[in-house]
Amino acid sequence: MSKKSRSKIWFLVHSWLALPIWFFVLIVCVTGTLAVVSQEILWLANPPMRASQPSDDAPRLNYDQIVAAIKKAEPDTLIESISRPDESHFALDVEVSYPDGRSATVYVNPYTGTIQGTAPPFDFKAFTRALHGWWLVPFTHGYSWGWYLVSFLSLPMLASLVTGLVVYKRFWKGFFRPTLRIRHGARIFWGDFHRLSGIWSIWFIAVISVTSTWFLIQAFLFDNQISISTEPVAAVVPRESVPLSADGSPAPMISLETAIRQARARIPGLDERFVSLPDNAYSYLSVGGRSGYPLMYQTADINPYTGDVAATRLLSDRSGLEWVTESMRPLHTGDFGGIWIKLIWFFFGLLLSMMVLSGLLIWTKRTALATANALKRNHKTSGSQTAATIRHESTQVSQ
Amino acid sequence: MNPVAAEKPRSPLSRFWHKWRFHINVLLLLVPLGFMPEYFADAALSRGDTGLGERDIGEVTVGPWSLRLAELHNEAPQLDGPAGYMKSFNAALCASCREQVKATYLRIGKPRSLRAAGVIFVGTPYRMSAMLPIPARTRADAELWITMEGWDGAMHQASIPLSQASPATLAWLSTQRGTP
Repeated sequence: MSKKSRSKIWFLVHSWLALPIWFFVLIVCVTGTLAVVSQEILWLANPPMRASQPSDDAPRLNYDQIVAAIKKAEPDTLIESISRPDESHFALDVEVSYPDGRSATVYVNPYTGTIQGTAPPFDFKAFTRALHGWWLVPFTHGYSWGWYLVSFLSLPMLASLVTGLVVYKRFWKGFFRPTLRIRHGARIFWGDFHRLSGIWSIWFIAVISVTSTWFLIQAFLFDNQISISTEPVAAVVPRESVPLSADGSPAPMISLETAIRQARARIPGLDERFVSLPDNAYSYLSVGGRSGYPLMYQTADINPYTGDVAATRLLSDRSGLEWVTESMRPLHTGDFGGIWIKLIWFFFGLLLSMMVLSGLLIWTKRTALATANALKRNHKTSGSQTAATIRHESTQVSQ
Repeated sequence: MNPVAAEKPRSPLSRFWHKWRFHINVLLLLVPLGFMPEYFADAALSRGDTGLGERDIGEVTVGPWSLRLAELHNEAPQLDGPAGYMKSFNAALCASCREQVKATYLRIGKPRSLRAAGVIFVGTPYRMSAMLPIPARTRADAELWITMEGWDGAMHQASIPLSQASPATLAWLSTQRGTP
């Protein structure tokens, strides 16, 4: 096979990968891009989510003070967990349970302990993630088929990256001589745009498609009951260590600050991000956060009556394979180092969405051209000529 | 890749197909649109906005205490991988016993001891849930036993017919006869 016709085949493969499903790919890209900054969008739209500091030198309250403040404001409200978002301009997210059986996330000011508001019933963050992640198809038996549908896109995406680089001859030259011709018509502009954003997105497309391929594998493993986890099955607090009380009132529990101190003693440098209170009398209190490695959490399960650390899940407990697989989700979402990393992911997410659109536009413009040409010579057998048109176009694209 | 077929004349249907074949995938958007009501109903149910569960069973007195029971979903048990068929129940403790009850358990058939009281409820006294395994060979006249344990060591039990707790489970069981 000649070099030319081989590159034509690569080109055809590249065009066909996303074309028949371009709209689906586009929506998945757009919703994913939104999901990256969904927390920040909510912050802008929803003032109770903001952690306004009453004065410049006001210190943050500790967890016990937060609990006390909530108890004082709403004595019947029970706290299930407190989490501290990565960026300090966010209020604390406190999951609570109300006497009428409702549960909610409330936003609590970290400096004053004031309950600033309740998360709205329409959870934009969860919704964009559900739309992006599984197309809203419910999980019934194992993973939803929407999850498979979306994560399967990782394969054509990876193939688009590879074929794109094969078709774009000497693409590395594009880094030194960026071309974006604005005044030569839409077809030229979108072609330049597609190539230019493509080469600068190589790393991003690789990260997104590899991590999504993992999501596909993960679902497949789970649904076939194959486990690669080294995490022990969650244990319960031994019956003997839960005290009885003569008057029938609940046994006293350690304070959250004590629990955090205990966790820090076992996980050096722990930057705690959440505290989950026990789910019932026989469950542990858990504290988790990052330390050292930004892509994984370390957690400690603490006996709420004695303060003993009953179990830990540390970086060193993870197998080599788990280091890879557990890093996949933060790499996919860009949620591991604050706002700047999220903004980078957001920008390249937009670029990727635009690449789907520009790919489609190139194809429509070229087809329109090919159609017009073919109609001009309408009574001839147009097979060879159309092929010629395509060859011409493909050379144009690869230049 | 050859949008212009050589043969003429083309039928309107074929023209329509050639014009729109790459845009048919827009219809995939119907999937999330179709599932949207279910998504929001599920979210409201899990927040407790639509009550304790899809189907209220009612108040059950357990010794000096009582609790309100509900089926999370008014449906047959769901297969949960190798764990077998599971059914979720929700419960809320009575206002006067919230501070006294240490743990609440659920089991099909009378427990022999506190250690075999069944699955433990997880959550707050306002709304807690338990996933109960339902063996396919469960008899139609089986009873659902509730065991409650106090902080002072007291233990109280009560039972209700499974037919009252979950008619959907009973209907499902009648289709399971003969399967091991």
